[in-house]
Amino acid sequence: MKYLNAPALKRWGSLVALYAIVTVMTGPPGNQSSPTLGFTSSFSESVSFFGLFPAPRGVFFAALFVIIGGGLALYRRTALKSVLSGARTAVAPRYAALTQRKATRGVFYAIVLLVAIVLPHVVTDPFWQSAMVSQIAIYVLLAIGLNVVVGFAGLLDLGFVAFYAIGAYTTAWVTGALPAAAPFHHAINPFWAIPIAIVFVMIAGVVLGLPTLRLRGDYLAIVTLGFGEIVTIFLNNLYGVTGGSTGSNQIPHFSIHLGPLKYLWGLDPVPYYYLTLGFVVVFLVIFSALEHSRVGRSWVAIREDEIAAESVGINPLKYKVIAFAIGAASAGFAGVITGGQSLFINPATFTLSFSINILVLVIFGGMGSIIGVVVGSLIIQTVSMYLIHTPPAGFQNSDLYIYLGALLIAMMIFRPAGIWPSKRRRREIQYVATGEELDQINGTSDVNGETV
Amino acid sequence: MTSPLFEVQNVTLRFGGVVSLNNVSMHQNRGEILAVIGPNGAGKTSLFNSLTGVYAPQEGSITFNGEHGALSIIGKKPYRVNAAGVARTFQASRMFSAMTAFENVKIGAESHKGLGVVGAMLRGPSTRRHERETDERAWSLLRFVGLEQQANTLSASLNYGARRRLEIARGLATSPSVLLLDEPAAGTNPAEKNELTTLIRRVRDEMGVSILLIEHDMKLVMSLAERLYVLNFGSVIAEGAPDEIRSNPAVIEAYLGSSDAGTAQGGL
Amino acid sequence: MKGAVVSGFFSYFTSHFATLGHEFWPLLVGGLATGFIYSMVAIGYTMVYGVLRLINFAHSEVFMSGGFASFFLTKWLVGSGNPSAWQSVLYVVLGVLVGGLAGAAIAALVERTAYRPLRRRKAPKLAYLISAIGASYFLFNLAAKEFGRINFAMSPPFVNHALFQFANAPVEMLDVITLVVGLLMLFGLDRLVSKSKLGRSIRAVAQDAETASLMGVNIDRTIAVTFLLGGFLGGAAGYLFGLKFGVVYTMGFTPALKAFTAAVLGGIGNLRGALIGGLLLGVVESLSVAFVNGAYIDVVSFGVLVLVLLVRPTGILGESLGRAA
Repeated sequence: MKYLNAPALKRWGSLVALYAIVTVMTGPPGNQSSPTLGFTSSFSESVSFFGLFPAPRGVFFAALFVIIGGGLALYRRTALKSVLSGARTAVAPRYAALTQRKATRGVFYAIVLLVAIVLPHVVTDPFWQSAMVSQIAIYVLLAIGLNVVVGFAGLLDLGFVAFYAIGAYTTAWVTGALPAAAPFHHAINPFWAIPIAIVFVMIAGVVLGLPTLRLRGDYLAIVTLGFGEIVTIFLNNLYGVTGGSTGSNQIPHFSIHLGPLKYLWGLDPVPYYYLTLGFVVVFLVIFSALEHSRVGRSWVAIREDEIAAESVGINPLKYKVIAFAIGAASAGFAGVITGGQSLFINPATFTLSFSINILVLVIFGGMGSIIGVVVGSLIIQTVSMYLIHTPPAGFQNSDLYIYLGALLIAMMIFRPAGIWPSKRRRREIQYVATGEELDQINGTSDVNGETV
Repeated sequence: MTSPLFEVQNVTLRFGGVVSLNNVSMHQNRGEILAVIGPNGAGKTSLFNSLTGVYAPQEGSITFNGEHGALSIIGKKPYRVNAAGVARTFQASRMFSAMTAFENVKIGAESHKGLGVVGAMLRGPSTRRHERETDERAWSLLRFVGLEQQANTLSASLNYGARRRLEIARGLATSPSVLLLDEPAAGTNPAEKNELTTLIRRVRDEMGVSILLIEHDMKLVMSLAERLYVLNFGSVIAEGAPDEIRSNPAVIEAYLGSSDAGTAQGGL
Repeated sequence: MKGAVVSGFFSYFTSHFATLGHEFWPLLVGGLATGFIYSMVAIGYTMVYGVLRLINFAHSEVFMSGGFASFFLTKWLVGSGNPSAWQSVLYVVLGVLVGGLAGAAIAALVERTAYRPLRRRKAPKLAYLISAIGASYFLFNLAAKEFGRINFAMSPPFVNHALFQFANAPVEMLDVITLVVGLLMLFGLDRLVSKSKLGRSIRAVAQDAETASLMGVNIDRTIAVTFLLGGFLGGAAGYLFGLKFGVVYTMGFTPALKAFTAAVLGGIGNLRGALIGGLLLGVVESLSVAFVNGAYIDVVSFGVLVLVLLVRPTGILGESLGRAA
């Protein structure tokens, strides 16, 4: 880590800055009549000093950071560093050999799936059961979809939520839950919305993508951001079609009527959990096949060197549009499930914040790493839900957004390839970063943090 | 088939007010090893980029008579030109650095095989068969250029000579009729140069792929090329067999009058 | 058939322009005033783009912080009293200064934390975009936490009456202030960039950073100064915007998106392009109320952006990166 080699002034300076930011970030809110209140009370408000005695927040956090700083200094000076890295080099190859064996991985996935299946019977708290569907499983689905766009194709799509919204509204439309006339005479269940929604969002994705995907990456980001806003504006204002700002609250539940097979999903979140889990697994299988296919390799080639990719016959625009459409389709798909599960939708759900939230999941887990994105989504969404469910003193739900913003910067500075990087991304980042010969890089650095 | 492979007629390419190619006409015959030489800034790479669709010259025509019939190249995108049978390498070799040597070649081998997104997602038997075929093809090309030992090495960590050969293999993987080599010997040592010369000749002799190359190293060009064009200030100033070029006064003048004089004299 | 369509369009436009009627001039004046605000923000995008070839996604929060800083200052200065004429002038100048300084400070902070560490590492472009989005999101939500989530009207330190009639449009004090401040700052920046030593180094970095550094230009410092200058104009624009529409933590989002459109419209990287693009967009948007429902004005700007990117991505004046002025 570069930090450890920086001069002392810089090391302690950045710790102090970090201390101030963290103290304010987690502190109590202020108000407009005294703009500094939030900042000052972040330091003055009293908290329990590790459960020992009450102390001002400023002191508490100072103590915390002194401990962190001292620990790092100790780590720097003592043999601890070499011992740890020695242990790492000893363990890493065996770990890598283990994870690379196909059978081990198969067993690992089977265990994870089993845990996922048993989970709703272990966790019976209604808050968590509902969160597992609407805040975790759906988010995983969205994150692995966005990962195709951002991670595989390297395209920054900030209007991802628009496709999610189109999916949800399409569900409302075909099930007759919108003011706009439904396309079918009798009520149908949301399953039928899936193909229709996917076609719709893919058309929207291609129509938006064809002209804009020729552009430079940052233009794409801003155009997609604008697109997200435009969709919200239309949803809010086309009262006669979308129901305006109140949206729709009459979407029917999913149901199956196939001969003897009859099932109706209802208010209980657990069946929805299994439904979503099933789709997540399907998408995981499909996307990982895609990653290791010609299409996946073409994305890598375009990401690395578009001119060279064109010279070997890859049409960059075509593959970018494919990525964009696939990402859009999975968002639309998630929109259908959300529509059916939550029964009501309104434009306030589909904000830029939502797009950024999904982006954070992808970045945190590791762009282009499917397993990383799944793990990252699980961690972030679970922690977020935990904070909302059992908030620590002074915590407000909206503070989460601040943390997510800070997390994005921190990831880009310290661990751009994510917590569980794809092998390829790590190589790319390392190669661009150092331009060094890369012989030494192999699967073994999976577990260490020294990639930057 | 008597029509030449490449037919360049009166091509002019400008960037703003700068004329990069001035009324250039040339052709390449089928199965020929053709070279374009000229001092720095003579427009050699501009010519290459025009032939591969990277630049679109304002005037003139470029026709490529490949296996799929005649194609007018101006205005076509590079990937279209490649699909028609034109492969190339780059002056400063452009590998996909985070991919292994094998993957680099594989990308070339599979780029023209239909789209098959759905096939790729479902990974059906036909997709798997295609994979096996492209793998085999990539392996055979790696063996052809002598890189099978380094197949799993990241292309960024290969040495110059190996990168050059890998780039040739990647180009060949797209099944071209002609391979355009932009200074293949730049940055290589004498031993690697000899290997490259042999390799380039084998590409033509064993695979039947025509070669068009730009090169500064006169020794390599003169021993390899069957015919040459000489460019200076964007115009063709001479054309002919190596012996004719060597004694052409206009060529000697162009080289003596430029900073490349040393190279040229040494080589000529 | 074709003729009918054309004449149909024609009558549509003429009839709508007729409904504009006496509204035309007021809309034009309003559009120009908003246009100056867009131009000032667009300058920030264009300058950063010039030296880094990147769009600074956090610029919307630079604008917002300028708005908040000057709002608190103005609130404290004006208090409950009625400022005299001289006090009004002083307060406006102070508002511009403090708004600008806050913007500059935030811009510098963003450069320091979200950009510089990545530049050291020669990170890919995607990384910059993501960390800038993170910075924007962080600041935006921090402001919501610290200052609340409602729109605060800024009571102006002057009486906002119509000063004179232009054609048949009343021109208010606020419009005049916006025009004067906007013109002064844009003119000053133009001089600074085209004439001073500082400007020369900015242009040198914009043209070719590597060569510039070989010639002895301090790249880090030049980039920091670029952020400061762009941030100053953006923050000051936040003040002018706040005077008219009030301040709220979300205030940066839409104007910044539009200012970006303006920068692209004029030719990104081009200072004068940002001015022209901003004014043009302000006017087009303002006049478009004759044709579309007010709720869809943002859709018009977005349409302009997409259209420009498709038809002429280099903008009206072209991307004259090196010749930033």
